[in-house]
Amino acid sequence: MLSFVVRRLLAMVAILLVLVAALFALQRISPIDPVRVVVGPNASREVVESTRERLGYNDPLPAQYARYVGDVATGDLQVSLRTGQSVSSDLAGALPATLELVLATLALAVPISLLFGIAGAARSRGAGVLRGSTMVLAAAPPFVLGIFGILIFYKNLGWLPASGRTSIPDAPTGPTGLLTIDSLAAARFDVFADALRHLVLPAVCLACVPAVAVGRVLRGAILTNLRADHVQVARAKGLSELGVLGRHCLRNSAGPALAMAGLMTGVVFAGVAVVEKVFAWPGIGLYITQSIPRGDFPAIAGTTLLLGAAYIVVNAIVDVLQAIADPRITA
Amino acid sequence: MAAIEPIDLTTRAALPRRSRFSGLVSISVPDRIALTALGLVTAVALLAPVLAPHNPRRQVGSPYASPSAAFPLGTDEAGRDMLSRVLLGVQTTWLTALLVIAIGVLLGGLVGLVAGAAGGWVDSVLMRITDLFLAMPAAVLAISVVAALGPSLTNIVIAVSILWWPYYARLIRVQVRELAARPHLEAARLAGCGRLRLVVRHLLPGAVPVAIVAASLDMGGAIGLLAGLSFLGLGTPPPSPELGSMTASGSTQLLTAWWLAVCPALAVFLLCLVSNVAGDTLRDLVDR
Repeated sequence: MLSFVVRRLLAMVAILLVLVAALFALQRISPIDPVRVVVGPNASREVVESTRERLGYNDPLPAQYARYVGDVATGDLQVSLRTGQSVSSDLAGALPATLELVLATLALAVPISLLFGIAGAARSRGAGVLRGSTMVLAAAPPFVLGIFGILIFYKNLGWLPASGRTSIPDAPTGPTGLLTIDSLAAARFDVFADALRHLVLPAVCLACVPAVAVGRVLRGAILTNLRADHVQVARAKGLSELGVLGRHCLRNSAGPALAMAGLMTGVVFAGVAVVEKVFAWPGIGLYITQSIPRGDFPAIAGTTLLLGAAYIVVNAIVDVLQAIADPRITA
Repeated sequence: MAAIEPIDLTTRAALPRRSRFSGLVSISVPDRIALTALGLVTAVALLAPVLAPHNPRRQVGSPYASPSAAFPLGTDEAGRDMLSRVLLGVQTTWLTALLVIAIGVLLGGLVGLVAGAAGGWVDSVLMRITDLFLAMPAAVLAISVVAALGPSLTNIVIAVSILWWPYYARLIRVQVRELAARPHLEAARLAGCGRLRLVVRHLLPGAVPVAIVAASLDMGGAIGLLAGLSFLGLGTPPPSPELGSMTASGSTQLLTAWWLAVCPALAVFLLCLVSNVAGDTLRDLVDR
């Protein structure tokens, strides 16, 4: 088990290095000259060339890549062309909003997928209707859900707000940056309720596709496991159907569902950009969407790196969790 | 990205099935509807320039006209006919999604076929590369790829195609390996069949149904991703009619002119829904 974890972590580092290499290569082909960014558009040719030499852009590519990896590892993601500040400080400022949104999405998606998977496998009443309606919902990309969500629940019904994290101006800003937690810590229950109301629509838009995808895989895995011999034995012993499901089926079915959940984090992270744009949610997704029309490649690459690294780390954790659920795969 | 269950597909497709066409005779009514819808969407996409009542890039009415008999889906901020724009957008989105999937299947299929048929170190190397691509956060990375190449629909297609093939490579490789272990291949080899002929005549045909099913299940995801990237402003700049960018520009006026965002968004939704349902239908038909 330990050697599996070590091997998986080493693979994770290798994959991260490839991701950094990909972004390094993209920066090479992007039309933005990093030297021009430093010296400004009006600098003379001599200044440009001497700066290029000084900053090391004339070094061999492997040396440049090594320096790029070093910069990334120490959190130096270059300077945003749009905000004029370092990309890492921009990202640090926007991260809590995105973290809160992703956590809310998780809080919605996990129970829904469990319900969907278990109810579907147990063939309980209404499971077919649930399956049909969620399949329709999950067909819609997040931005489509967002548009219809705003139109129905904001414009027509007036139940939910359509943009931002809160409409209360003096909302607490620290210490965690997560508005729901900060407001509880400051005993501001009005802000807490307001923040929750702002979270509902964006989180639902993000949660639909992964919840349905994971639920489907879970349902399939449970149905396969219910036919296994050891389940027949458990039934023959006189165990209740719920006992069979909980004690003999769920753990075996967790593996495939976890694998799909790992894949789905990629879908959620890409969805973050889209959904934050729809709901003007001030996180890193909005940051990257505002950088796109300005061609701010350092900001775009930095955000991609952060989301991509998170995806790779999450999937390494998922693999380890899978191995805990089913130790056979460590071999 | 692709929300498919490759393991599921291959194991089931490997089961013996009845004659290739026996299933097609008795298609149930819902399946017929799903496949008809698929055909209808493809027809609309192909005939969009003929069906569009107006030039989608020209002003034909007053700006922000709400839906009426003259303009069934209203007009946009420049007085262009929304119905024509949505039709052309459907064409662009549907055909580019097909293109991305086709490139993915061809590229991934080739890698999977070579890896599965060659085995040994070729297989190891190709599959390591495939794993590396699979481990990449494809949809997020696509944003950076397009941003680096410059925003345009062509670059979206390039970016998504680069990242889309590994699923098919794995799928086809498993299928080819399973086929390679079957007696008919041994027989063909003993009959003096050459290596290339073995691959093309005896391995490739067996992998085609799996690839088609996987591809059709992926259409919805591809449409969502392409439209999403266009929504983020990575597509060809306006006034080119793309469903994603039309939704994005319309969403700023959601409260005053709802049809600007709703019509293209609804079109994306319908395209995704039709391809998802039709994909499920195709899988069931092939698996029977």
